[in-house]
Amino acid sequence: MNRRKLIPASAVIAAASLLLSAAPAQAAEQGVTASSIKLGITVPMTGIASPGYNKIPGAMKAYFDYVNANGGVNGRKINLVVKDDQYIPTLAVAKANELILKDKVFALVGTLGTASNKAIARSAQLSARGIPALFVNTGFSGFADKKAYPTTFSLLPSYQMEAKVIGKYLDENFKGKKVGLIYQDDDFGLDALNGFKQAKIEFDIKIPYASGSQAVAGVAGTWITKLQAAKPDVVVLFGVSSATAAALGNAFAYKYAPQWILGSVGGDPVTLAANKVPPAFLAGAKGFSFAPSPADATDEYIKMFMDVNTTYNKGVTFDNNIVAGMTSAFLTVQAIKAAGPNLTRAGLIAAIEKSGATFANPSLTPFAYSATSHVGATGYWIGTYDATGSLKPDGGKYTVYTTDSGTGAVVTSTYKRPAMPAKGLPN
Amino acid sequence: MKTISIKKRLVALAATAALVAGVTTSVPAQAADPACTTAASVTTCVGTTSDTAPYMFLTTPAFNGTVLVWSHGLRPNVDIPAGIPSYGGYKVTNTPEPAPGGDAKVIAALLGAGYGIAGSGFSRQGVNVQQAVATNVELIGVFKKQYPTTKKVVAWGASLGTLISQTLAEKNPTLVDAVALMCPATAPTEALTSYFGDFMWGFKTFFDPSIKGFGYSAGQAGYAEAMGDLVKFFTALAKLQAGLVSGAWPDTSSAAGKALEAKMIPSRSALTLIGLMAGVPMRSEHIDGTSGPVGSEQLFPLAIAPAVAVLENAGTVGLAEILLMSDAEAQSGGIVFDNTKTDYAARVDADRDVYTFALSGNDAINGMLGVLAATPKVTGSAAAIAKAKTLLSITGTVKHPTVMVTTESDQFTVAGAGQWMIDGYATQFAAEKAAAQKAYGKTKTYKAPVNNLVALWDKTATSYTKFTAAGTPDLTATAGKGAGHCKFTPDQYVAVAKMAANAANTGKFPSGGAVSTAARKVGLSADNKFRAPSFKSLG
Repeated sequence: MNRRKLIPASAVIAAASLLLSAAPAQAAEQGVTASSIKLGITVPMTGIASPGYNKIPGAMKAYFDYVNANGGVNGRKINLVVKDDQYIPTLAVAKANELILKDKVFALVGTLGTASNKAIARSAQLSARGIPALFVNTGFSGFADKKAYPTTFSLLPSYQMEAKVIGKYLDENFKGKKVGLIYQDDDFGLDALNGFKQAKIEFDIKIPYASGSQAVAGVAGTWITKLQAAKPDVVVLFGVSSATAAALGNAFAYKYAPQWILGSVGGDPVTLAANKVPPAFLAGAKGFSFAPSPADATDEYIKMFMDVNTTYNKGVTFDNNIVAGMTSAFLTVQAIKAAGPNLTRAGLIAAIEKSGATFANPSLTPFAYSATSHVGATGYWIGTYDATGSLKPDGGKYTVYTTDSGTGAVVTSTYKRPAMPAKGLPN
Repeated sequence: MKTISIKKRLVALAATAALVAGVTTSVPAQAADPACTTAASVTTCVGTTSDTAPYMFLTTPAFNGTVLVWSHGLRPNVDIPAGIPSYGGYKVTNTPEPAPGGDAKVIAALLGAGYGIAGSGFSRQGVNVQQAVATNVELIGVFKKQYPTTKKVVAWGASLGTLISQTLAEKNPTLVDAVALMCPATAPTEALTSYFGDFMWGFKTFFDPSIKGFGYSAGQAGYAEAMGDLVKFFTALAKLQAGLVSGAWPDTSSAAGKALEAKMIPSRSALTLIGLMAGVPMRSEHIDGTSGPVGSEQLFPLAIAPAVAVLENAGTVGLAEILLMSDAEAQSGGIVFDNTKTDYAARVDADRDVYTFALSGNDAINGMLGVLAATPKVTGSAAAIAKAKTLLSITGTVKHPTVMVTTESDQFTVAGAGQWMIDGYATQFAAEKAAAQKAYGKTKTYKAPVNNLVALWDKTATSYTKFTAAGTPDLTATAGKGAGHCKFTPDQYVAVAKMAANAANTGKFPSGGAVSTAARKVGLSADNKFRAPSFKSLG
């Protein structure tokens, strides 16, 4: 007989409560001292998917350095340990384990990639260990499932939300036209497919690619020849930067120019330009973002981030990836501040659940953090790339559309972003 | 780093036995008392138990009263024809094994520390837990009779031997004072049969449906079927290796397999899928899953490495399936594997994203799963399955101080077995704590339960794959740490034995820090927050 059947659940619960009651009130948390907090991030710093995304840790560090130079958070300075996972999920797990076991970080922050984050959560046992995974750089809607990922917090709007917003745009502007789609053939892309389905968008041609295959010689070229044969009027590129660049680079070479619609993940013009996509080739393409345009120096957050980048991230071109990294760092600082001086992992998670929706941050869309939700930003504004590669909001102002990852409608947001704290420091 | 591998074990055994005693060939057929000789201060006693199992024990004049009774791992119970990898040319042997692989360094270290060591070759090989436990019970009695000063007994073993040691401790709690389990196979019977059975069922479904795999005939006919399966299995495996890059399928593949090939799904993706659904480690002795050759640093680990790892691990898994399944069926009277209720799509659901490139994307995954779903499953015999459970039956209850060392990427005794013990003990310990608390309510005396399980890990290194100048993985290079089956060093065996022996004498383990330090000295980890994947069949 299996002994597990002999032990009543009540006994286990009682034992657990004993353990809890026996724990010291303020046990020292790994990665936290009186004067420091150690955080960790694993991202593709090299390899197939690194273009653009490898700027995120530097941007985060820059903002943390800025905060540290101004006294830190609750008297603690933040150190960020960076690992390179090359966008290989098995390597991401190894790197996350290094961060947790060897570097002994307090929390993970900004880890990038749907598959990598899923693999880390499962293999590194984030939930069982109570390790926060803050503001992950992926829009997979599953991470908002608090039951499945109780210590993970999304930052980006979900791919479903994005697909629904794109779907609404397609419906309003290209009804009756032939539409094509290139997407990553994993939960990143499947999440988007669910959103397009919600939006009742039917594609005339769908081209899935396995993550990493965009680097195989000739593969991206076949996407374009397939598109040329199918002749869609509009093509949605819903992939990482390297895949988007590969598609556009080949399209440029083949002089293939439908109406492009770029998903936010792969739509950073600086990264595309650095990967041989001429900025002028983007002119007229549509793009989506939840944060202000990096070219918009009139935005107080963008202005502050630009200044921080100039001082603490010297020589690095300011772009969407810098904004994304600094936004993650900004929110992290807000969360740590809100968790109070007795910083614990559980306390940090509770603080985000309690007040994360009201944290000051650059997002132009509302956040949905609550005791029951780990959803971050919830919408997008739509823009058009100009001949210099800048994404400018349509109509000259940010009109934000908000929705959910379910069947909710896409509606115009009335959200009014809170003012930035003085000097962009935690309040 | 020297390790004691399976391949070397049987050779080393015979050599060491001869070296130490020089009398293995003169073991009396049914001697009631052991025959002992002393040379160089080492007294070696040999004999047979009442079930004709030969045994051997060794002591020195400095015997400290603690004896370590070793149970060896799997030895096939049939001769294996020459040419079969790893075991080709093997003849059934019951040479007694008083220490891991008969390793001279381990023997010298333990004798030098004053311990007695003992071990049998058992009366039968293959799935022999019941017989081996009976032999060990008798062996302990013989040893104690020879050495009345014996105070403590440590049951230790490796691989299949861990089932013997654990069962010995569970069923004879007063005979044993501590337990050490090296590369534990300690898991429910159905988890073990599922691991091997799922792999072989998937393999034959795709690559060679003429492989029997299950339902072997009785007697000599069944032996011929099993040996024929070995040849077919390794032949298909070689063809898969040849087609790793091109994606070509073996010519023995099923019609459904060939249809997948026609859809440009490479055979390596099907092999990877089989590995994932069975729970075969995605890292192997030479494949770390993260490295790539120059020029293919990312593509190799994403697209190829998982299949190479499964391929390298598959030899052991397939061979074990054929040998263990045929033996278990012969002893149980029917098919002991049943996958009629197994949802293989659910098995790989969480892995699809991680291995999407290796699996050739979602359309390919769905296509392959479709083939598996459409293929008739194996229906086991309820009576045989019930009987098989009695052959390998353990509860996993930890009643004695127990040291367990699990290799993270072990393809034979997968890490899920160690994790099952850890999870079970966590539940057991919580219940003991609750009981102690309840007792406190009555007696006002709180007697805290003592931690009886030290779980050590031989963790897989992040990076160790070597590549040839041609850019292919070098499968002849030194194996990576924490990968492969039971590849422990003599120092690791000795450290674990001493840890268990000390606990046998003190009744408890030292502090976590001391355990951690001792483990680290021999390259093991005492990370109590590390968690290995559970058996796929256990969820």
